[in-house]
Amino acid sequence: MAFWLFLMSGLAVGALYALGGVGLVLLNRATGVLNFAYGALGALGAMCAWQAMQWGWPEPCAWALSMAIGLAISLGFGALVAPALAKREPIVKALATLGLALSLLGVMNLLWVVTPRRLSLAYDALSIDLGGLRITATRLLALAAGLAVTGLMGLFLARTRVGLMMRAIAENREAAAILGAPIRKVEALAWGLSGLLAGFTGMLFGDLVRLDPAVLTFMVIPIVATTVVGRLTSIPVTFAAGLFIGAVESLSALAPPLAPFRLASPFVVAIFMLLWLNRGRALTFADKD
Amino acid sequence: MKIKFAVAGGLGALVLGVSGVQAAPHCGLGNGQKATGAPIKVGAVVGRTGPDDFSSSARAAKAYFACVNENGGINGRPVDYLIEDDQWNPEVAGQVATKLVKDQKVVALVGNGSFVEMSVNAKLYAAEDVMSMASACAASECFESKNIVSTNEGPLVSSVGAAQWAVTKKGAKNLVCIGLNIPSVGQYSCGWTEKYMQSKGLKASSILMDPGSADVNAAVLQTVASGADTVLVNLPAGLAAGYLKAAQEQNLRDQFIWTSSTPLYDRAVPDMLGDYWQGHITVNIELTPYDGKGADATNWREVMDKYAAASDKRDTFSESGYLSAKYFVNTLLKLDPTKIDRPSVTAAIRAIRNEKSDLMCGPYYVGDGDRHQPNHANMMAEVVKGGFKIIGDCTDVNSAYLAPVRAEEKRIGLAP
Amino acid sequence: MSFTRWPRQQWAPALAVGLAALATIFLANGLWMKVLTSVAIFTLTAMSVALLYRRLGQISLGHVALMGLGGWVALRFSHGFSLPFELNLLAGGVVAGLVGVALAYPALRMRGLYLSLVTLMAAGGFSIVVNNTQFPNGADGFLGFAVRATAYMPRPVLAQSDAAYFIYCLVVTGLGFLLVHLHEAGKPGRAWALIRRSEATAMAAGVNVTLYKVWGFALSGFLAGAAGALLAGSLQLLDAHSFPPADSVMICALTIVGGAWNWFGALIAALLFRLAPALLNDWGLNGNAAYIFFGLALIHALATAPRGVAGKLEEALAAGNRK
Repeated sequence: MAFWLFLMSGLAVGALYALGGVGLVLLNRATGVLNFAYGALGALGAMCAWQAMQWGWPEPCAWALSMAIGLAISLGFGALVAPALAKREPIVKALATLGLALSLLGVMNLLWVVTPRRLSLAYDALSIDLGGLRITATRLLALAAGLAVTGLMGLFLARTRVGLMMRAIAENREAAAILGAPIRKVEALAWGLSGLLAGFTGMLFGDLVRLDPAVLTFMVIPIVATTVVGRLTSIPVTFAAGLFIGAVESLSALAPPLAPFRLASPFVVAIFMLLWLNRGRALTFADKD
Repeated sequence: MKIKFAVAGGLGALVLGVSGVQAAPHCGLGNGQKATGAPIKVGAVVGRTGPDDFSSSARAAKAYFACVNENGGINGRPVDYLIEDDQWNPEVAGQVATKLVKDQKVVALVGNGSFVEMSVNAKLYAAEDVMSMASACAASECFESKNIVSTNEGPLVSSVGAAQWAVTKKGAKNLVCIGLNIPSVGQYSCGWTEKYMQSKGLKASSILMDPGSADVNAAVLQTVASGADTVLVNLPAGLAAGYLKAAQEQNLRDQFIWTSSTPLYDRAVPDMLGDYWQGHITVNIELTPYDGKGADATNWREVMDKYAAASDKRDTFSESGYLSAKYFVNTLLKLDPTKIDRPSVTAAIRAIRNEKSDLMCGPYYVGDGDRHQPNHANMMAEVVKGGFKIIGDCTDVNSAYLAPVRAEEKRIGLAP
Repeated sequence: MSFTRWPRQQWAPALAVGLAALATIFLANGLWMKVLTSVAIFTLTAMSVALLYRRLGQISLGHVALMGLGGWVALRFSHGFSLPFELNLLAGGVVAGLVGVALAYPALRMRGLYLSLVTLMAAGGFSIVVNNTQFPNGADGFLGFAVRATAYMPRPVLAQSDAAYFIYCLVVTGLGFLLVHLHEAGKPGRAWALIRRSEATAMAAGVNVTLYKVWGFALSGFLAGAAGALLAGSLQLLDAHSFPPADSVMICALTIVGGAWNWFGALIAALLFRLAPALLNDWGLNGNAAYIFFGLALIHALATAPRGVAGKLEEALAAGNRK
């Protein structure tokens, strides 16, 4: 019985990891950049939304604000900074997003005095009872959103023309340009979509985890673990990995020797899965990544 | 030190409105003359930038010193108060303490508030024989060092106080303590709370969480699985709010007696917790209430209104910072102003025996011992709509941890 | 090696650093002595990160965690056995080197961003583990930790004061640099260069690719572990808060910004990592404003200087050489 409760609880947290991971992989597939600022973008959106609700704005407007901010900053970064780094290695592009994350964190801490805050959304009031554990509608929304993004975006990238161009640009920017892909427009679309998703995800994280800029910003590190399992390319695997990691983290609470190290679950799972997936593989004629 | 401007300034607006009616605060000599002598250098190390802002103690001390400087100073000499930010980083804490103690040659440190600096700098303070009259201590090292004495109680005394109240007033039989998994904070305070319960023949357990946890749900489930009838929340305010929200999700309010240590005693908390929790959770407070009517409490508010920024928090640590500064000034006023140097100041601080204030439950003293914990009696408050209601008066805390402290009090003649 | 015709871009930085070191020893006060000791220590770390990048094409996002491990071992040995500081330092370096070897094995199977993320995962895991086990503080038992007053690690016999310890760190960092230089000028350096060019060619030429890759990781890990032990000696204790994964990512980013291809690039990285924040803190600038400045500076440097600040400096110095 306890096992079941902890498992369900773990899946509920895993849904968050999965949603974040899917957003990261999406951007990576479309632009080749692993966005370390994803958490910070979401955090900024959530803080602005909270502020707006304090000023009396209705909740749907706050949601829209959060997504708009994510969209704007992500688009700005994608248009102004990313092209300058287009020819560098993926790790350098990722480190540039780290710079963005730091700047956003500084801005948030300057604008909002560090004090406990709580983000309450309308869906918090609704909940369903699953065998003794209550799950709020907000959590179910996170799960549903993760599933939706996984399904829709997977189809989008695989089946549409724009999706094809996105993947081509991420693979080899110059070749895609020669072939006539409208680089700037497609990249803008990719960054913009990612920003929208970051703003949306940020609201859910702010509600379900904690409304604290630093905590939300650094959550990107365990979320990166889910993307690692998905090899930075497979959205469904990333989604599943997120759920799995959440479950492992929660269930570890039941095993006393492991319990203090629960929070290392994302990292342990990621390393294990990587080693397992790459077993027997030897690099000889290695080319690019 | 730069002054921060908060956008969410509900508190600021309230204070600005109130400060239109300014009473004259009293500090130091209280003679209204600006001090113009040779400045006395005093330092402070606070954790300002980082996971939380722990600087309200130093801000309050700064306000008090500003008031003192306009009211005759220390027998004519102004206080030059140097505040440094340790950024919650042990390396930086060591660096800025060296700057204050070795380079600036401060005569003492007043108003320190940090999670990390006490353990890093205890050795430096002892080696240089400089006293730190701290105000916001959260880790065991602060209460177990020769040269550090704090006006606040720390998580251990606050937790045991809350447990004690739950046992005596609410009949708690089985308590679960939710704390941080940082040993000098969580194991220290929850561990001794368990010992307290066991000393009364009752049961207790702990659930320790990592401060960076995204998943507070598991802690909630563990709480249910523990079989306790009382939950003692011993977490920093932000994390505590997350934990209580998860508990609310599971509708656990009526299944347990809920109590907490000091971090939840914050003006923003009652609104943040919402009407679900109002009237159902009690908080132990380390000093007396921030809306208290006593002379010192009123004076503290007046000093803050006149000399501090509107955005400076008026919370428990602001009270303790004010007290540290006040006791420091009282001590120095007894010295010959031409002979104020580190050795004389250190000796004078150690000689503090029986300073009283309505902001603190018991007398404040220092002494020559290897550990200092003058503040070990506390009050209980309940979270109600719009604020807090005092439900328990000053009660001394009965923990075996305090045995050496009580022995010292007996030795210097303070104990009853 | 003839000294008479050394180009400017080689002796100018060396001279500048030498003068700065002398100035520090004689003029620095308590605060700056400590800060610059930190800079010297992190120069060693940055050097180890740069080595991995420059010679093996690998980016490690976990080197601060390796420092933490080295520091842990040094502290445990110091509290457990009464050995001289130098042996504790070596112990820390060796254990971190062995972990570096462990990291080499995934490196044989993946590359690029992947491998970097594995190191990030390892750093994340380390910080969780060390938050639970804490650093040794003089208690008994394998973990050497108990909730008690901290016992302080003794400094080296030759370097008890802050000023002497600064010189000690400079010497150790210098030795580290020498070690790297000897490797690069010798057989391992040639093997690494060939491997970086083309692994297939290296194998065809009879180079034991696996061995040299592992050796590179071991050396890098050893240097980072030694830096961690130096840090432990500087503060005489270590705190679990000091080794978050974010710091590992930061030092790596700054190593690239400083420039991984010149020896003074590592120094620039350490200056940015430890001196710049200390200066900003000293001037009373709000730490959060410093974050913003740092983040933007990072983006700018990454975008405009592929070989880092050191690379730009070198170009500037060399430009004057053509006369």
